[in-house]
Amino acid sequence: MSIAAPEPKANMGQPVPRYDAVAKVTGMAKYAADMPLANPAYAYLVTSAIAKGRIDSFELTEARNIRGVIDIVTHENAEKLKDVKLFSEGGYMSTTVQPLKSADVAHDGQIIAVVLADTFEAGREAAHRVKVNYRPATPSTTFDSPGTTSGPAKGQASRFKEDPKVGDFAKAFDEAEVKITASYETPTQHHNPMELFATSCVWTGDNLTIYEPSQYVYGLKNGVAAQLGIDADKVRVINYYVGGAFGSKGSTTPRTAIMASLARRLNRPVKLVPTRDQGFTIATYRAETRHQIQIGANRDGKLVALRHEGAEVSSRPDAYVVGGTKTTTRLYACPNVDSLVSIVHADRNTPGFMRSPPEVPYLFALESAMDELAVKLNMDPIELRRVNDTMKEPIGGKPYTSRSLMACFDEGARAFGWSQRSAAPKSMTDGDWLVGYGCATTCYPTQMAPAAARVRLQRDGRVRVEIAGHEIGNGAYTVIGQAAAEKLGVPFENVSVHIGDSDLPPAPVAGGSNSTASTCSAVMMVCDQIRQRLFRALMPNESVIDKAKETVGMGQTPVAESANSGRPLDREKAFDALGVSVVEEYGEWKPEDAPKDSFRAMQQGQVRIVGGSAMSDKIAYAFGAEFVEVRIDKWTHEIRIPRLVGAFAAGHIMNPRTARSQLMGGLIWGMSSALLEATELDPRYGRYVNDNLADYLLPVNADVQDVEVIMLSEQDDHINPAGVKGLGELANVGTNAAVCNAIFHATGQRIRKLPVRLENLEV
Amino acid sequence: MSDKTNSTTRSGFDRRMFLAGAAGSAVVPLTARAAGPAPNAAAAPDPSLPVDVTLRVNGDSRLLTIDARTTVLDALREHIGLTGSKKGCDHGQCGACTVLIDDRRAISCLTLALAAEGRDITTVEGLAKGDKLHPMQQAFIEQDAFQCGYCTPGQIMSAIACVKEGHANSEADIREYMSGNICRCAAYPNIVAAVKQAAPEILKG
Ligand code: FES
Ligand code: FES
Repeated sequence: MSIAAPEPKANMGQPVPRYDAVAKVTGMAKYAADMPLANPAYAYLVTSAIAKGRIDSFELTEARNIRGVIDIVTHENAEKLKDVKLFSEGGYMSTTVQPLKSADVAHDGQIIAVVLADTFEAGREAAHRVKVNYRPATPSTTFDSPGTTSGPAKGQASRFKEDPKVGDFAKAFDEAEVKITASYETPTQHHNPMELFATSCVWTGDNLTIYEPSQYVYGLKNGVAAQLGIDADKVRVINYYVGGAFGSKGSTTPRTAIMASLARRLNRPVKLVPTRDQGFTIATYRAETRHQIQIGANRDGKLVALRHEGAEVSSRPDAYVVGGTKTTTRLYACPNVDSLVSIVHADRNTPGFMRSPPEVPYLFALESAMDELAVKLNMDPIELRRVNDTMKEPIGGKPYTSRSLMACFDEGARAFGWSQRSAAPKSMTDGDWLVGYGCATTCYPTQMAPAAARVRLQRDGRVRVEIAGHEIGNGAYTVIGQAAAEKLGVPFENVSVHIGDSDLPPAPVAGGSNSTASTCSAVMMVCDQIRQRLFRALMPNESVIDKAKETVGMGQTPVAESANSGRPLDREKAFDALGVSVVEEYGEWKPEDAPKDSFRAMQQGQVRIVGGSAMSDKIAYAFGAEFVEVRIDKWTHEIRIPRLVGAFAAGHIMNPRTARSQLMGGLIWGMSSALLEATELDPRYGRYVNDNLADYLLPVNADVQDVEVIMLSEQDDHINPAGVKGLGELANVGTNAAVCNAIFHATGQRIRKLPVRLENLEV
Repeated sequence: MSDKTNSTTRSGFDRRMFLAGAAGSAVVPLTARAAGPAPNAAAAPDPSLPVDVTLRVNGDSRLLTIDARTTVLDALREHIGLTGSKKGCDHGQCGACTVLIDDRRAISCLTLALAAEGRDITTVEGLAKGDKLHPMQQAFIEQDAFQCGYCTPGQIMSAIACVKEGHANSEADIREYMSGNICRCAAYPNIVAAVKQAAPEILKG
């Protein structure tokens, strides 16, 4: 065991090395743009230089004359594709803006033309020689821009059902002994996965194959089919590996159907590798948000009143909303709660999920305000969380299925050395460094969605698992393989895992951190079906179903035992009794509370995610406590983070190695979000000005020092058969506030707007 | 491209003229250039015609007929079929395309294939000897130094060079000299651990 492969604690699987490790270190892992194509035409996008207005005309002669150019497609000659709804409104799309449909421009960087050429180089040159005559209008681009429209999220976004409230906030706040009112802001951010938004389309007769990095191959398959107006069975999406996604590859973006249409027109494979800057506008992003928090508390720290008002930017046509009040109003015990979320519609591309979409901005606000309250109460911030910890959420009174928040604080504090902290701001220094310690709660809803799997077991103990899951760096191959190996009692090396292909049984979007819980629950269920067949062959007179049922759910039965189930199954004998060499089972799993149409929706690429705060009789979240040491040079205001410590509890941990890496990456993401990341918008033109990897600040190796991840043992039998709480989005939530809380401790200055840059400090 | 960056005419910079010069310098003997510009412009080769270039990659020579503007990265990926090296920005900003050219790390998206002719290019595909992984590859697996794996080929090539350059003597050194390779999954601490693990074996030879 090493730091990278932590010793498993109770209710944790083995830290086996990644299933796909050799493929990834040898360059053999084929990402979408790596798939071989026969004589592809290269597509190169031309995107809009205005954010609003119309295209008067194109001047294409010069571009068309470039040697190797095959065609240039604009709204004047493109196939008209069908309109499809936004994914969050029952459709598939990341945006309802349909490029190449008309002369209208709805946002900066919208696709307005596509050059097709025999080489990438010719396509690029021709794209640079396309001249566009615009009739621009003045865009309204963000908060406070004249001409935006705004209104409550409730009523315009169908996924946003309710502004949570309980009791009488106004009265309780009015009468509270201690009060905080503060406003917070978070910036526009872009996911910037390292892999570009590539798409290749190949037609064989009337069958279409798409190679594209996707967090949802069934969604993409159905979304593109709907846009093209063809049978979804004719479309296959393949992506064995996704080079990072973080939400950006979850919904269908307009580029894919455009490429499919062009490939059909040319009768030739088409390959698109958009540029990095195009990725800022042809896919989604995390929109800027604003918050006002009001907290009333007793002198002992108990909350008596809480109000969270949030505002988010979306595009003109779409009501995309993250609505994190569903979490912030339920996190702590508080009898009087009020909230309101509104949407501001601007001339922008439609935002979309980005790692912990609601929690990152909304918990930044709440957890900063909690720290402000602790300061005002002269109370240790951990004790403030302890006083308000609860096993029942306050809005509906539903019980948390499990909640190890304070255990995380206690373990994290010990590892971090929180007791060394002197409470007063500006009281800790080291030479020229002002030192600050800060902490915050982190949490993420436990979500699941229906999934199906096919599993084959051979007499010799070899196993093949098929499920259209997604390897986005989450370790999907590995944990799916482990789930099958553990259930069927075979070595991990015996399992071959097949994912990333929409011809396989459907899995949900790899989003909302539901992937491991959903896919492993489905695979385990199907493995149980196999076990039942084998048991039945050997013990025809016994109640074999019950026998196999005992092993359902690693939450109930420790892993090793579940593989053996008390009575080891003699596999070879069972096969001989059955008289076959292979047993194969297909099964569809759905979580408790899943709606009736779940399985049909699953086949159609529409997810029915359940969990979090949306369950009927309970609420399920993973929790953690995050600690930050910040150092600020008192002369230059340089900000460094020498230490990040996170302690997390997320139910059954399938693989401590992959889990630790995801949590570690999350902590660094959170630090990056707090200190570095912001997409700078030029409000005059609605244009992202730092749309490249040099100007969009991301952490590099030298920005990261000690990062410690602690995983607590936790068992939760009320969530899903795998007992898993998703953790891919758990660690980058609390970090934002923890950094600002540490900066306050170091400097006495409260920063309420992210990211914190040295020019914001007035030490 | 984004139309907003369409400044070919405004800046007066003409890529085709520039490249004609670049290509010329690679194939025309110096003496010819010393004689001054070609007297007859019509005799200059058409810069949009493909050119022949031989690249030596992982020990194998490959003759390619490609656009003169083709980068080493695109030559590897689109023409030779070696897709291990990745495109993350095409601008020299991310390091995903890092290869070794004559044993030094190079950003293959900013290196023209023509400029690499006659030099030894090593890519991630050229590291393992049969089934035996290079020590750096093995260390990346053991230290779980990646998640999505997209930056990994570039990280590994950089890491090998980092060791050979003598920049792997401390964690601070490794962090500094590995900072040209962005990992959005943020596997950084594990990358540092992997470089530390593999360094002694690599230096031993
Ligand atoms: S692709 Fe070459 S540095 Fe990014
Ligand atoms: S492993 Fe995903 S970018 Fe480095």
